[in-house]
Amino acid sequence: MSKRFVFRSRPLWRLLLYGFLLVWCLVNSQTMAHPMPNSAVLLSIQQTGVRAQLQLPLNELQLAFGHDVAQFPETLVDRLGPELRAYILQHVRPVGPDGRPWRVIVNELAVQPVQQSPSGPYYELTAILLLSPPTGATPRRFSLTYDVITHQLVTHKALVSIRQDWDRSVYAEHPVEVGVIQLDVVNNRIPPLKIDLDEGSLWQGFMGMISLGISHIAGGTDHLLFLLVLLLPAPLLLLAEPGRRFRWGPFGGFRYSLTRLLWIVTAFTLGHSITLVLGALGWVRLPAQPVEILIGVSILVSALHAIRPLFPGKETWIAAGFGLVHGLAFASTLANLSLDSGRMALSILGFNLGIELMQLVVIAVTVPWLIWLSRTPAYRFIRMGGAVLAGIAALAWIVERYQGQSNVLSQWLEHMI
Amino acid sequence: MFNKKLVGTLMLIVGCFSSMLALESCKKETDTVVTPTTPGSTTTTTGSTTTTAGSGTVTSTGCSTLTTQAARVACAASAFLATLTDAQKTTVQLTLTKTNAIKWSNLPGGVSIRNGLEFSTLSVAQLTAAKAVIQAASGTAANEGYAEFSQTIAADDVLGITAGSGYSSGKYIIAFLGTPSATGTWMLQFGGHHYAQNITYNAGNAVSTTPSHQGIEPKTWTANGTTYAPLNQEQVAMAAMLASLSTAQLTTAKLGTSFSDVLLGPNKDGQFPATKLGLQVSTLTAAQKALVLAAIKPWTQDVDDATGTALLTIYEKELDATYISYSGNAALTANADYARIDGPSVWIEFVCQTGAVYRNEIHYHTIYRDHTRDYNGL
Repeated sequence: MSKRFVFRSRPLWRLLLYGFLLVWCLVNSQTMAHPMPNSAVLLSIQQTGVRAQLQLPLNELQLAFGHDVAQFPETLVDRLGPELRAYILQHVRPVGPDGRPWRVIVNELAVQPVQQSPSGPYYELTAILLLSPPTGATPRRFSLTYDVITHQLVTHKALVSIRQDWDRSVYAEHPVEVGVIQLDVVNNRIPPLKIDLDEGSLWQGFMGMISLGISHIAGGTDHLLFLLVLLLPAPLLLLAEPGRRFRWGPFGGFRYSLTRLLWIVTAFTLGHSITLVLGALGWVRLPAQPVEILIGVSILVSALHAIRPLFPGKETWIAAGFGLVHGLAFASTLANLSLDSGRMALSILGFNLGIELMQLVVIAVTVPWLIWLSRTPAYRFIRMGGAVLAGIAALAWIVERYQGQSNVLSQWLEHMI
Repeated sequence: MFNKKLVGTLMLIVGCFSSMLALESCKKETDTVVTPTTPGSTTTTTGSTTTTAGSGTVTSTGCSTLTTQAARVACAASAFLATLTDAQKTTVQLTLTKTNAIKWSNLPGGVSIRNGLEFSTLSVAQLTAAKAVIQAASGTAANEGYAEFSQTIAADDVLGITAGSGYSSGKYIIAFLGTPSATGTWMLQFGGHHYAQNITYNAGNAVSTTPSHQGIEPKTWTANGTTYAPLNQEQVAMAAMLASLSTAQLTTAKLGTSFSDVLLGPNKDGQFPATKLGLQVSTLTAAQKALVLAAIKPWTQDVDDATGTALLTIYEKELDATYISYSGNAALTANADYARIDGPSVWIEFVCQTGAVYRNEIHYHTIYRDHTRDYNGL
């Protein structure tokens, strides 16, 4: 009888290795077509002004600004920082509805490569601008006279979007395009773009945060998968035999299962809430890539645990520990919003509320099944199959996040789930 | 025992994944395997089918003897339609509306951004018949008209080898807007990456041959010992026109602004500048005027010879009120070198761009429009 539960891990490792190689081999990339790249102007509406990010393709900028900017992209900002700032200031002029000009400050300049685009790979200059209306005037209405690049390179155009408008629930995930600034060929002039945004409210912003939290979990397959895979073996008893490693036993009873499930979920929630608050307030900040890779690792670890207990009896601590990691990823969404403290507090509250709501829905749907299925002999295969699939997905994500580019498997996952 | 079962299950799962992925890559491969086309008078291979589609070899029996241009093209069109299934006929035939007419592009991407049937979906016989329609509508001058079209689609197969399945002669299209007839009003569209013709027939004649777009990358290449450069004549004629100008004339002709593409490409319909810029042709010598006309000529030669000649005559009469201008270098050999001819009717732009695939070379984009005749006034 006890032999039936023996599981040698070698074939499994081999299979995981297989999966890993498969994932690695299928990393491919293809670019084509070539409209000339556009500029992007991304506006974040804030309390007292507008933060604008300009994205300027260097090959197009070179034709307007010269200085061989596309030739030596790496040293561009060091070489020509002051000239570029002056150039941008000269070509960005917001004016209020009353005709009073706004103040413009150019903050950071940076050059970065754009890998995947319909125009093929290219470098772009990003500039962060602060556009400030006269004291007391609304930042929601202005006329943007803008002709960076286009003043000279008349075939160039700038796509203007609202990237963030908290009061109206607009975030970077779904920017709203408000217009295109380009040459009016007939009249040979570049008309200014009128920006006129409806007033939002704190309530609308708060509700937006809740739904952002919900969609973050609903769309964040990796967070869900981690939790589900960790829950997979939760209803099962741990079997320990003298001299042997732990292994998963049969169903441990209704009360046993529910208690363990609740502990795990609560620990995960506690973990990610802590880092969500710390991260959103900017007290803890880790670069996104290692956090994202760690999330992949967390899925892989919990998948292996579902196959064979790696940390018997310590699921709660694991859930809490990896919860801290997942929370950092949640926090990055909020930390980038650069909100005033009141709106940030509402954001943390609303966003976390959304996350917990969605998590509750998922648990309410899956836990009865877990408990019911774990009483059947077939559960072993469900647990194993689920764990292996999750492991493969985790490997795909780890590779994707390590390389910084998607592969066939991660694209497929994206598409399927 | 359990071990085997487990391993079996796992194998099944991994097997599922791999076969799924294999399927995915198969899909890609069928698109990718395209033998380069040798245009002109030899054999064209598209996918696994082989068809003879060189200039001068395909004719629809009897059509060429008809008296009007519209009748000849409509005759070839009905021969083509006769080879199609009902579903294909529905796809290739659209209503003649502005919305349909303006759906063309300089980009690769096939029928997803264009009307009609894609060559890749046609049988050998159907493709031969489709190309007969295009040939009937096109000019016969060397390196212009049908020869230029054939070379342009061959260039895409060259790109396909270097840059992948996004580029292919199979991704060119043919479409009819309105019903092809010898006497009625209808439009023939054909094109794809770097090529677009929008020819309207009415009462027997080709009454509008614009917008007409040509581009080329690589701008020159060699296959089977023959060197192809389908837009060479266009580049040479434009550069010769500018080379004839004195320093003072060049100063007048030079635009203050720069161009990384043509100004009036797809979806820029009816947006001609209210004020013509550059150097007025009336101020030029007779020899210089002849060079301006010679620079216009290659674009008019892409449609059938009689129609092209008639249009060139119109543009010749309007030469004095025509303006020429340029930006960058007048030699038209470097990125963003640009030339424009803007007349009461004719509008031609020629621009050099950094290559999209061959990043160290330039490639050409051109547009030929007519202020009053684009889309026959739609």
